[in-house]
Amino acid sequence: MYSRYAGLPYVVPAFALLGMVLFSPVFYGFWFSLFRIRYGAPTDFIGLGNFTGLLSDPMLGGIVSRSAVFTALAVLLTIVIALALALWIHRLGERLGFAVQMIVIVPWIISTVVATLLFRWVFVNDIGLALSLARWAGLGDLRLLNDPTSAMALLIGVSVWKRIGYAVIILLAGLKGIPDDYEEAARIDGATSWQIFRRITLPLMKTPLLLVAIVLTLSNLNTVETPLVLTGGGPGNATRILPIEVFDRAFVTYDLGSATALALAMFLGNILLVLAYVRLAKWKA
Amino acid sequence: MDATRKRRWALPDRWSVLVVLAFALLAVLNLMPLIWGVLTSFKSPPDLFRFPPTLFGFTPTLENYQRVIESGFLGNMRVSLFYSGTTVAATLVLALPAAYAFDRFDFPLRQPLFMLVVASIPLSLGAAALLIPNYLYFSRLGLTNAWYTLPLILTAHQLPMAIWIMKGTIEGIPRELDEAAVADGASHFEVLRFVILPLTKPAFGAAGVLTFVASWNEFVAGSVMVDSPALRPIQPAIYNFIGFFGREWGPLTASATLAILPILIAFALLGRLIVSGLTKGSVKG
Repeated sequence: MYSRYAGLPYVVPAFALLGMVLFSPVFYGFWFSLFRIRYGAPTDFIGLGNFTGLLSDPMLGGIVSRSAVFTALAVLLTIVIALALALWIHRLGERLGFAVQMIVIVPWIISTVVATLLFRWVFVNDIGLALSLARWAGLGDLRLLNDPTSAMALLIGVSVWKRIGYAVIILLAGLKGIPDDYEEAARIDGATSWQIFRRITLPLMKTPLLLVAIVLTLSNLNTVETPLVLTGGGPGNATRILPIEVFDRAFVTYDLGSATALALAMFLGNILLVLAYVRLAKWKA
Repeated sequence: MDATRKRRWALPDRWSVLVVLAFALLAVLNLMPLIWGVLTSFKSPPDLFRFPPTLFGFTPTLENYQRVIESGFLGNMRVSLFYSGTTVAATLVLALPAAYAFDRFDFPLRQPLFMLVVASIPLSLGAAALLIPNYLYFSRLGLTNAWYTLPLILTAHQLPMAIWIMKGTIEGIPRELDEAAVADGASHFEVLRFVILPLTKPAFGAAGVLTFVASWNEFVAGSVMVDSPALRPIQPAIYNFIGFFGREWGPLTASATLAILPILIAFALLGRLIVSGLTKGSVKG
């Protein structure tokens, strides 16, 4: 009953904007990355030179593996804790459950810069609250930001803290979508809580879990703010991860050629990770 | 239904102690950094350095706020309000027709285009990786450093999620309603305006709040795409304060408090919408 093209005018404006801001820079960036860049302007064509230059950079291996460890641990911890919280909230009454949801979501709605700044204030070396509490408890001088391992642990902790709220809301929505009768029927058949969780809840939560895994992976992998504000990449290079490296190359050392190449490699990595997740989830079914 | 609700609300005694403890722990973990930051913002330097730190036994002062405001922070807040407001307006105006068309019309390439929208959600999450190409492209077009630079970029980042949320709601509106309106002689646009729009209000609100929170909190694009201090949004301004005020935690926490304020107000008024909007937009898609 509608003309075949009647819908187009409604989507064209949105796609014009998406094309201009989200899609075309990818192609332009790739074209740009094939040139040698001097003072922000492309000079001569060097093909994949900017990309091969990355491979021979001795610093990059450490940065990539640090990023992988950071992202994997942050995503895993967030999902496990958020799943436990969502299961708990689902069993609570309506009002208490809603109160818990609201508290859980607060860190997620405040900005990463502000949230991280507040954590830095809690853990800051000389007068931080954490140091005072540790002294009071007789733990001695707790200076988490000074030690490479604990600085990374703190970075992971803040990232988890920040994103749990989002994961809880999505997982809770998934839990609410599971009909109550499934659990009751299984209980009547004598299934234990663990069996119900393993055989009924988890498989039916595949879509929200996949979504949460994708969103968390991408947002952790691409976060500039948390390491920049919390540790500045330090101590030494202990918390220097990929987004900071891209940021520094482009806007601190103005090495736009390798920054563009690195950004595009990261972008490709993002896409491959999403595809891998989708494949993995399908394969499991 | 009613019986299970009651059962869930009234837990056995030994559990309710645990529930209260878990609730308290969660509240402390999630709210403590915020409360500590807000308290700090009202402390004068002698109270800040007092050991052990005091929660309430100090003389509150507004001097930190005074210093932050004197350094032009209200200008950054005003600019950020402008960016977020225009982004919310543009996102809603572009997303509603697109969502309507994706659900109600069958036009060429409908399916692949919608897949592109869905794929853009993770794409805009990985925006940090795309930022360098985006920056190069925008500076080549001469679109950096203008009042419209950030609204354009932020709208493109928020648009896919908004389209998804609204499509989820429009799916739930019976087609008979628009068909009846068309039979009465209404045009498609009138159907959208007078039938769909009034029934989409909750999704509209949810998408609006989420867009506002995301654009108010945006850091990376804001720090890269515009140079001039007059155009600088609030999050990069706070980051600059870290360099400017150094270890002066009074002004730093004051700026953080001012940045959280609008978000907490929006959250207090519309928190329910955030939760339901995320839920609808994610799991039903």
